[in-house]
Amino acid sequence: MNTRILFLISFLSLTVSFAQVKISGKVTYKNKGVGEVNVTLKDTYDGATTDADGNFSFETSEKGNKILTFTHPKYDDVEKAVILESPDVSVIAELKEQISEIDAVVVSAGSIEASDKKRATALLTPIDIYTTAGANGQISSALTYLPGVQKIGETEGLFIRGGTGTESKIFMDGSLINNYFSNSVPGIAGRDRFNTSLFKGNIFSSGGYSALYGQALSGALMLESVDLPDQSSYDFGISPIFLNAGFQKLSDNGNYSYGATLGYSNLKLMQEALNFNTNFTDAPEGLNSDFNFRIKTKSGGFFKYYGMYNANSLGVKTESLEPEYDFSGVNLKGKNTYHNLSYKQKFGKYLLNTGASYSFNRSDLNFSTEKNNVETGNTNLLTDGNYINVKAILERKINKISALRAGFELNSTGEKTGFGDFAQRKYKDLISSAFMETDLGFSNRFSAKIGARAEYSSYLEKSNIAPRLALAYRLAKDWTASFAYGLFYQNPESKYINGPANLDFQESQHYIFQVQRAADGRSLRFEAFYKKYDDLLKVKNLPYVDSQNQYVQTADNNNGYGYAKGLELFWRDKKTFKNIDYWVSYSFLDSKRDFMNYPFSLKPGFASEHTLSAVAKKFVTNWKTGFNLSYTYAKGRPYYDIASENVTGEPEYYIRHEGRLKSFNALNFSLNYLPNLGKKDAKAFTILVLSVSNILGSKNVYGYNFSNSDGGAKRSAVVPPVNTFVFVGAFISFGVDKTEDAINNNL
Amino acid sequence: MKKYLLSFALAFVSLTAFAQSDYEKAMKENIAKIETSKTPEEFTALSNNFHRIAGKDENNWLPFYYAALANIQKGRMLMQQGKTQDLDFIAGVAGKYIEAASHVAPTDNAEIHLLSKMMYSMKMMVNPQQRFMTDGAKATEELKKAEKLDPSNPRIALIKAEDTYFTPEQYGGSKAKGMEQFKEALAKFNSYTPKSALEPNWGKAEAEYFINGAKK
Repeated sequence: MNTRILFLISFLSLTVSFAQVKISGKVTYKNKGVGEVNVTLKDTYDGATTDADGNFSFETSEKGNKILTFTHPKYDDVEKAVILESPDVSVIAELKEQISEIDAVVVSAGSIEASDKKRATALLTPIDIYTTAGANGQISSALTYLPGVQKIGETEGLFIRGGTGTESKIFMDGSLINNYFSNSVPGIAGRDRFNTSLFKGNIFSSGGYSALYGQALSGALMLESVDLPDQSSYDFGISPIFLNAGFQKLSDNGNYSYGATLGYSNLKLMQEALNFNTNFTDAPEGLNSDFNFRIKTKSGGFFKYYGMYNANSLGVKTESLEPEYDFSGVNLKGKNTYHNLSYKQKFGKYLLNTGASYSFNRSDLNFSTEKNNVETGNTNLLTDGNYINVKAILERKINKISALRAGFELNSTGEKTGFGDFAQRKYKDLISSAFMETDLGFSNRFSAKIGARAEYSSYLEKSNIAPRLALAYRLAKDWTASFAYGLFYQNPESKYINGPANLDFQESQHYIFQVQRAADGRSLRFEAFYKKYDDLLKVKNLPYVDSQNQYVQTADNNNGYGYAKGLELFWRDKKTFKNIDYWVSYSFLDSKRDFMNYPFSLKPGFASEHTLSAVAKKFVTNWKTGFNLSYTYAKGRPYYDIASENVTGEPEYYIRHEGRLKSFNALNFSLNYLPNLGKKDAKAFTILVLSVSNILGSKNVYGYNFSNSDGGAKRSAVVPPVNTFVFVGAFISFGVDKTEDAINNNL
Repeated sequence: MKKYLLSFALAFVSLTAFAQSDYEKAMKENIAKIETSKTPEEFTALSNNFHRIAGKDENNWLPFYYAALANIQKGRMLMQQGKTQDLDFIAGVAGKYIEAASHVAPTDNAEIHLLSKMMYSMKMMVNPQQRFMTDGAKATEELKKAEKLDPSNPRIALIKAEDTYFTPEQYGGSKAKGMEQFKEALAKFNSYTPKSALEPNWGKAEAEYFINGAKK
């Protein structure tokens, strides 16, 4: 009897437990259904996944008071208590946003970032630069294919949004690089001294940049050097204009590496083969070497050192515009050394980032004139510069997407210049800066960066405080709007400090508005900006000394001013056409300024109103060859012949001639052939490169020089050293299978 | 009294047997879906099911393993459709499950290393140009580890075959070579017996699919 009852009870309880309860409901976030949410009846296997509208339903045999959990990797978990008794239970759950680094909106007004840690829409990696036709493997040239950077052929430097080349600064691992470009002579642009493959990523800011950086009125380029190499390797490069060799050695335990390169270049062979515009009496020649090491410490710190030495020389002779001479010439001997040491370490919530750099630069220019094959009027312009930069930044994470950074920077400059007997100068300046910046993530949709920077210059004996602000708001899934404002200060250019003058910082104010769409394989950016300049440097001529063949300009005051405003468009698409990656950029620029020796406010000679460039790349697998094309158009820039006359002992400037240059046009082409591609047992990996810049041979003019005498009646055009340049080269590496790299680049 | 005890014991046994079969039933039911799921949504649901099982059986590596696998298959599916935007995120989710699985797995496990390989390959495909040296290298490393631990594993052979099959001839891959490798993989599948009904046993259909596809 007992047993029977017991059986009955246990049977009953089993049937009861088999009676199912249906749980259904909807999961929402801000009143919108959320799909792919995992709904679980806690501590059971019962549950469901929501459909695209956020609906779910499942059956369970559980009974009583239970808890339902709602989980989704992009939202915070939610729990809801339910009582399971009636046949149907309905539940509505509202999710909470989870703030995460991946989903948080990134402030991008004014800046283009290229590094692996960011999304797939990153721009301008080293490979992008090497495969941009016309960039000649130089970072600074590749940047001219992005919006906001002017194509200026006769002077080195980044001319950003109506700013001069000296208004942009370049940093390596946080430390300032003085003399990023090689020494050169007037009318010929210096080249990048730094090897593009030295850097794994970069942030290019055409305005509104962070408070961590200063002393640049227009923009900044922050380069991030590579970490430990993956393998030891040896490589060689050979072409009619250069020879180089290098190695990288990685320790067996993978904790440290060191490497060095040595290279020699000489343009003489190409000068014979191609038709040069410039008459080089000494073909450009250069020797460059560098050394690096990287060490990972046991406690997780990371040291990086990079040091380089290079020397270059060249000589140019041009027909003289002055009646008393036949020719005028200039010879250059340059020497430069740069050393950069950085150290990074994490201490719990804190990240310490320090760096120091030292550089020495000597530019030895010899000007001369020639009459009836007799050299006269030799004048030497010797500039020696010593630069030290020290920087330390401490960062503290506040939460997943917020952080606070603070630090200081010391920037010491010591320069000595002698220009024949006409001018001698010594210049010393120590700029001490302190800065603070915070990244604030309010939600995945809205974030802000607020910062300030204070500087004191020992030369000017003045200080400044510069606030910076940037906001970003996500409008829709792929659309972001951002805004940046900032105040920027820069010391007057030291080369104009040839006498006593009471000077102050130059100042610019940036307002930038951006709308960006970044989706899979395609990105679109639209940017509008307004930049206001104040306290720009005005210069005047030093009194003329007999037999002097060039005026010496000296800083006079800070009464200059100006503005630049414009619109920019950028479109990159890797998706529409198979195996083709292309981008198009357009910049409109309206700018006027009164500075240097401008007699009044003028459209500056380095600002083109319309610039259009397009870059396209295609890799043809069957031929193991990559084809690259690029095109640049820039509307003719204005040019001025500014002369001076003495009015009551003070020079006064007026415009003798002015006009507009013809528009700039260049179509460039390059191809890279990888013969060892796919040969798994190959020992050496070769890349052959052929590039032709300005393939159509457009005769571009960068400006004009005018004679001093007869009211500037004679003029000569400043043109590129060569109209069409052809480069052939081979790069061979051992140890590292670069071809597999290439395969994956192009799959 | 004896009867009383007996029935009590019986009830107890049936109860534990029931609980055990619950886990097995749930696992078997979902493992069967690994090879029948066709859409990313189905794989998400599958991953969630395994997540649920893992939540109750935290000391068993298999639910974590399958949750990771479901995510990887989902990612591979999106990749084939050319949708690479979410792959980083999916790889991240898969990575967490892989970590959890290797944490509870009793020994260093070839199946888990193979999943890691697939996860890193997927990550690399988001931007092969930039990630080859990092994620690509990690994928190769994980594959080597897996091979060393279990050279006869048919799934390792299958994934290697797929790599060869999808690599163009110029780069040392080829459809023909890939096909040979698929056949080798199939042979390995035919002689392979999983350690238990719940241990990884997927992939045979995929190998057959490629082999049959080529015959047509």
